[in-house]
Amino acid sequence: MKIIVCIKQVPGTNEVKLDPATNTIIRDNIASIINPFDTYAIEEAVRIKEKMGAEIYGLSMGIPSSQEMLREAISLKVDKAMLLTDRKFAGADTLATSYALSLGIQKIGDYDLIICGKQAIDGDTAQVGPSLAKTLGIAYITDVSKIIEIKDNIMHCLKITDDGYEELKVKLPALISVVKEINMPRLPSIKGMKHARQAKIEIVTFADTDANENKLGLKGSPTKVRKTFVPTHEINSEIIEGTTEEKVNRLAEVLNSKAIRKGM
Amino acid sequence: MDNKIKIRFTEEYGEYLRDESRQVGFADSISFVKSEEEIISVLKENYANKIPTTIQGARTGLAASSVPFGGHVINLSRMNKVNGIRYDEVNDKFYIKLQPGVLLVEIRKYLANKSFITDGWNDSSKNALYHMKKGEWFYSTDPTEISATIGGMVACNASGAKSFRYGSTRDHIQSIRAVLSDGDVISLRRGEVISDGRLFSVTTEGGRIISGRLPKYEMPNVKKNTSGYFNKLNMDIIDLFIGSDGTLGVISEIEIELNKKQKSNWGITIFMPDEDKALDLVRALRGEKIFCDRNAINLNPSAIEFFSHNALDMLREQQRVNPAFATIQEIKENYHTAIYIEIEDDSDDKIWAGVEELGEIIVKLGGDEDATWVANNPTNLEKLHSFRHACPECVNMQIDLIRKSDSRITKLGTDMSVPDNKLKDVMKMYNDGILENNLNAVIFGHIGNNHLHVNTIPRDMDEYNRGKELYSSWAEKIVSMGGAVSAEHGVGKLKVPFLQKMFTKDKIDDMRKLKKLFDPDQLFNRATIFPYVESKGVK
Repeated sequence: MKIIVCIKQVPGTNEVKLDPATNTIIRDNIASIINPFDTYAIEEAVRIKEKMGAEIYGLSMGIPSSQEMLREAISLKVDKAMLLTDRKFAGADTLATSYALSLGIQKIGDYDLIICGKQAIDGDTAQVGPSLAKTLGIAYITDVSKIIEIKDNIMHCLKITDDGYEELKVKLPALISVVKEINMPRLPSIKGMKHARQAKIEIVTFADTDANENKLGLKGSPTKVRKTFVPTHEINSEIIEGTTEEKVNRLAEVLNSKAIRKGM
Repeated sequence: MDNKIKIRFTEEYGEYLRDESRQVGFADSISFVKSEEEIISVLKENYANKIPTTIQGARTGLAASSVPFGGHVINLSRMNKVNGIRYDEVNDKFYIKLQPGVLLVEIRKYLANKSFITDGWNDSSKNALYHMKKGEWFYSTDPTEISATIGGMVACNASGAKSFRYGSTRDHIQSIRAVLSDGDVISLRRGEVISDGRLFSVTTEGGRIISGRLPKYEMPNVKKNTSGYFNKLNMDIIDLFIGSDGTLGVISEIEIELNKKQKSNWGITIFMPDEDKALDLVRALRGEKIFCDRNAINLNPSAIEFFSHNALDMLREQQRVNPAFATIQEIKENYHTAIYIEIEDDSDDKIWAGVEELGEIIVKLGGDEDATWVANNPTNLEKLHSFRHACPECVNMQIDLIRKSDSRITKLGTDMSVPDNKLKDVMKMYNDGILENNLNAVIFGHIGNNHLHVNTIPRDMDEYNRGKELYSSWAEKIVSMGGAVSAEHGVGKLKVPFLQKMFTKDKIDDMRKLKKLFDPDQLFNRATIFPYVESKGVK
């Protein structure tokens, strides 16, 4: 089977420092890394390959130096890599990014499965995976935490949800985005790194595609960021006080309440 | 109590009777001093009344140095200010002046953020900080326990994984101030007070001249040693205080030296098919020529660490049953023994050249270049650090579990080092001993300096006692190999019997005479380094 893993280069830090004057991320002296969620996507593809045989393509859109990141993916047992890089691709939002990635995927062609990380740690949108599936016209499952089986062109997997898990089956070709619960990504080996240093990364520019320029980069990006915020999850907590008897009664009341039973 | 700083010892101070060695002591009073003046005031009173004094930092020690043996406890954890920074233009070096209670983790945080509390600093310090911010600097001594205080680290001459390249605490201490038992202060700056052969003389701030003769014993020829007082011909007297386990004075200020941070920092874990091959790899990594047809590897690692096959088995098992260890890397079944190295250089390309050579050596030794984990960025390096720390954590968790059924049981850990040419002998000694006594033990640690921590997890009191006996017999053999019975934890109270295997009674008496020059009534850290002997008039 042929698996395509979408990979993004992100700043390698958890402590994002903002420039107080411009409110933009200070990227000086911060080395770039593979988006951590994408490392789970790579690992899952490699595990499928080790189990049932597969050819893995690493695909990224980004600045020319993203080649090094793709080389790292190859050191992790990805077989081939393609980088979409061109000034015309720059400034893309999630829609324009998925369009650009779809161009690369069409070039690779004849795929069975596309794996993306759940989201990138710099943008945090979790939109590119689903948007890419829509562009390609294939089915997708987000937040996959386990691939149970791939058999007869059907993938059977678990999707993590707010309330638990959903067990789903999807006909291939399809796209999945994976969460960190799915596996423990390996680190590259010396052998993998030696191989990766000699590997050739395929570079695709605008001229190599028959793309619609208006759907690419800044031009193809309708997104306007008005405000950013962290979604809140409302958790009601209550501290039970009183005598032992009062506390036990209140606890029984709470446990018997609808809210708890609904979740059971 | 006459002195207002001193507090009568009550149950609420119970934790100050213990340290990480899990030994429990006893005391009458405690003080949480905040300045050198307060130390002096407490010590003057103790001196007048002949009250013994135990010195404490963060109590993270493993040899029970800070566990009190009666009398007073002087706790330095509240003396945790940074007093200033000094820039040495000639050598392009920065030095930080610290109170003894500053924690290692705080030093690291200050340096990472380049941010200090500068209240009370002079202009020269503030100016030095301004210059320091232009570069990246780090403090190289890296014991695993980052909540240790700098005072404690100086007292036991702590080291860590990177001591392979950077040496121990001693190698990065530029000056200290120490309060003697009578309250007088001694200020020592490296290079200023050197013994003439064995004769030395040092003047206190009070104008008293302390002079004497250094003992005749020789220190073992190992790279890591903290077994008794440092002693050498023409030595710097600052080195006598470093590693003295708090038996000579209360260290009230320390100046540490910083190193320039290198641009690239890699970690590599290498899994070898058997232990013997792993030991050969260690020899190659430290620059020994192990094959006649090829040169030594040009890699200059800062750390060379070891995980025995039973340590890997323990981690595999914990990974399976304990969610806390689910995030460490998966250890394949055919991985037998692991070697972990860290390399720092000014570019990735330079490191890579060495790594390519390393790959060739691994293959030549019968290993597999694919059985390696390479971390060449901070994110992945953190993963390898977690893996390394998982080993002692696993041991401690298992010990805590066993102690629930029998609280007399404690972890049995070794801290001995031997010369380079005894590496294979010492490994054989450990493996044979564990096997013959059927002990539940794992081996890990600083193999680059032939300094391993054998950690036994006794399943019952019988195993605990057999383990203790075995360790004692190992101490004897280590001495006959020319090794040190304590490499980085200090002698403290726990290893007093081991030190007696290393040095004859005469030599230990010579050490005691040296102590008495600075602490005539032997008030400091009673029962530490020396067996306790009642002295006249001392309470």
